[in-house]
Amino acid sequence: MPRTTTLDCPGCPPLRALTFDVLGLVKVIEARGKEGEIPKVVERWGEPDFSKSVLAASLVDRKFDPLLAVARKNGLIEVLNPLNGNLHIAISDNTDTSPPPKDEAIVGMHLFSKEELEVESRRCTLLSCTTKGNASMRSIGFSSSLSKDASTDLVKTWKVCGSGDVTCTKVDGSETHALFGGKGVEVNMWNLEQCTKIWTAKAPKKNNLGIFTPTWFTSATFLSKDDHRKFAAGTNSHQVRLYDISAQKRPVISFDFRETPIKSLAEDVDGNTIFVGNASGDLASFDIRNGKLLGCFLGKCSGSIRSIARHPELPVIASCGLDSYVRFWDIKTRQLLSAVFLKQHLTGVVFDSHFVEEDVTQTAVESIQQETEAAQTVSEEEHMPRKRKKSSKEGGEGGKRKGNKTTDKESKKSRRKSHGETERKQKKMV
Amino acid sequence: MGEEKKNKVIVPSTIKNKEKRAEVHANLKHQKKLEKRKRAKARDAAEKQALELGEELPPRKIPRTIENTREVDETVCKPDDEELFAGNDADEFSSIIKRDILPKILITTCRFNSTIGPAFISELLSVIPNAHYYKRGTNDLKKIVEYANAKDFTSLMVVHTSRRKLDGLLIIGLPEGPTAHFKISNVVLRKEIKNHGNPTGHQPELVLTNFTTRLGLRVGRLIQSLFPQDPNFRGRRVVTFHNQRDFIFFRHHRYIFESKENKKEADSKKKSKGTKGEKVPQQKVIARLQECGPRFTMKLISLQHGTFDSKGGEYEWVHKPEMDTSRRRFFL
Repeated sequence: MPRTTTLDCPGCPPLRALTFDVLGLVKVIEARGKEGEIPKVVERWGEPDFSKSVLAASLVDRKFDPLLAVARKNGLIEVLNPLNGNLHIAISDNTDTSPPPKDEAIVGMHLFSKEELEVESRRCTLLSCTTKGNASMRSIGFSSSLSKDASTDLVKTWKVCGSGDVTCTKVDGSETHALFGGKGVEVNMWNLEQCTKIWTAKAPKKNNLGIFTPTWFTSATFLSKDDHRKFAAGTNSHQVRLYDISAQKRPVISFDFRETPIKSLAEDVDGNTIFVGNASGDLASFDIRNGKLLGCFLGKCSGSIRSIARHPELPVIASCGLDSYVRFWDIKTRQLLSAVFLKQHLTGVVFDSHFVEEDVTQTAVESIQQETEAAQTVSEEEHMPRKRKKSSKEGGEGGKRKGNKTTDKESKKSRRKSHGETERKQKKMV
Repeated sequence: MGEEKKNKVIVPSTIKNKEKRAEVHANLKHQKKLEKRKRAKARDAAEKQALELGEELPPRKIPRTIENTREVDETVCKPDDEELFAGNDADEFSSIIKRDILPKILITTCRFNSTIGPAFISELLSVIPNAHYYKRGTNDLKKIVEYANAKDFTSLMVVHTSRRKLDGLLIIGLPEGPTAHFKISNVVLRKEIKNHGNPTGHQPELVLTNFTTRLGLRVGRLIQSLFPQDPNFRGRRVVTFHNQRDFIFFRHHRYIFESKENKKEADSKKKSKGTKGEKVPQQKVIARLQECGPRFTMKLISLQHGTFDSKGGEYEWVHKPEMDTSRRRFFL
C-alpha cells in the first residue's frame, strides 16, 4: 500500500470562532463535545458578493447580548448578533450608493463593550478609522425589535494623521486609549475621552550603514488589558518593536522575525508573550520582555497570516489568512490542533468565548430535561478550571507583576458568587 | 521438494555464503517470473474466452500510480460550489475571461540576460498573441509594472536566466496581481525539435488539464488570462498546459484531421488495382499532431498577492520544505 502521512490533529476543546472573508461571508466554526473534537463550519451568513468583502470586524464578547460589528468594502458597517447572525443595524458613511474610493476604506474598527443601558433602545459605541486617517467615534442606538429605524449620532471625528496610510488600529482593554499606525505614520496614541493625541513614537535611528528604513507599521497590540502604556508593533521591514510610552519615544526592544513583513500580532493573557504572524505564513511566539523566540508554530501554513486571535480562557490561538485555512493551535505545546478549509482568502477571525453556556441554553430550549441537567453539570465542570485561569489572569493584571494570593482568592470567591447568580438568572430565563 | 521448502523459508539475504546466496536469489526471481507469466496467461485466456462467448470482459485492474493514490485533499474544487463560482467571478482575471478586455502581454528579460532569454522570448511571442517584447535595460521591475499599468497591459512576463540557462518565469497579472513565480526546466526550443512545424498567426486554442485544487485553479486562470478567449479553430493551433504531479508541462502543437483509408481496404485495393472495383473505400478520420515548440516544464515556487514586491509582498502560497512530507501530496 502507498505510504501516506496523515497529520495527526488532536482536535480542539469545545470552542466557537467566527471568520470573515473576502466574499463578505461570515462563517461560524464550532467544536462541540469533549476534548478532541474536529471543528466544523456550522453556519454561514451572507451571500457571496465581492463588493461586501469584510475589511475589519470587532466582537463584544459577553454573556448577554453580544454584538458583532463588520466593516465592508462598500462602506457599510453592519452590527450583527453573533449568536444567530441577525442584522441589528447597517450604517453607511456616504449617502449615495456609489462605492467609496479606495483610500476611504475602513482599516480598523472597535466596538466598545461598555454600554449605557437604556430601557427601550440599545446603544453601542463604535470607533472606526479609514485609510486616510479619518477616525470617528459614533454611538448607535437601535431598538431591540426588528424595525430598522436607527439613530446614529456622530459623536466625534478627528484626523489621526496628516499624510500616509493608516493600516492598524487598536483599542486597549480599558477602552480609554487607541493606537494608530501605518505606512508613513508613526504609531500614535489617542485618549478617546478627550480625543487628544497623548503620545507619538519617534522613528529609530539610522543603522550603522546610515540607512534609514521608512516607517510602515502593519500591526499593533497592547500587551495587557489594563495597561495602555506598553504595546508591541510589527513593521513591514520584518521588525517587531516594543514601545513603552512611560519610558521613551523610541522602541524599548526591537527584534527581527524572518524575511517577510509582519502581518499580525496578538498578545497572550499573561502580558509578556506575543504571537507574531508574517506574510509568508510563519507563526511564532516571542517573549516580549527580552525579545527571545519561544518557538514556531509548524503546520504547513503557506499563506500570509492576516489575523491571529487568542481565546480568552482556553490555551488556544486561531490564525487565518490568505491560504484560506483557519488553524487552531495549542499555545503550550505549539501544536496544530486542527485546520478548517474555508475556500476564500480570510481577513479575520474572532473567538466567542461564551460558547458552552449557549449550548446549554440551546438544549434547554429543546426542553429535554435530563440532557440539560447533564449538560449543565458538564458545563459546571468545565467552568471550574476556567475560573481559575481567569482569576490568575486578573491577579496578573491587577498586581502588574504577579498577583498576590489573597487577591486571587477573593476574586475567585467573587467570581463564584457572580457565576451562581448568572446561572440562577439563566434558569429563570429558561 | 526439500529445496523448495527451504527457498520459501530462507530469506536469501540471511545466507552468508555469496555463491549460495546468489543461487537462491536467482531461483527465487525465476520462480516469481514464472508465476507472473502464468497469471498473465490466465488473464489473457479468460479475456479471450469471454470474447468468444460474447460475455462482458473481466474488468482490467488499474495500476496504482502516484497520481491515483494521491493524498486526500480538501481543497480540491467541487463542481457544485457556489462560493467557488462567486469567487471566480470576482477575481482579477474575470474581466479577461469574460472577454471584456483583450489580453495584452508585456514580455521582458531579467537584467543580465544572455542570448537564450531573447531566443526563448521570440518563440513565446509566436505562441502568445498580442505579446510585446520590451528590452529590460536597467529598469526596476516595480517601475516596469507601473509602466505596463499605464500602457494598459494585462499581464507581465519576466523570463529569468542564469548561467546562460533559463531558470525562472514570473507571470504578473496587472493591475492588481497576483504574481506567480515558476521554475523553468527542460527547455527545448523550436529549432531543436525534429520535424517541427511553424505556427500560423491564428489565435490558438488553450488546453489546461489537471488544475484541480483552489490553488491550481487560480494558477490555471492566471495562465488562461494570457491568451485571448476566442480561439480561431481554422488555425488548428493548440497550446497545452498539462499539470502532472505539480509540474506544468507546456506544449504547442498544430493538428490536422486526415481521412485515411483503412489499411485492409487499401491492401485489397492494391491487389484489385487493375479491375477498379466500384466499392467506396472505407475511410477513417485520424488526427495528426505536429509539434511546433517551444517545449518546457514549469513548477510553481510561490504565488504572491498583488504585483511584484519581493520585500513587502504578501504570499498566498509559498513552497516550504516542511510541506514535502509525502510523495503523494500535490498542491495544484
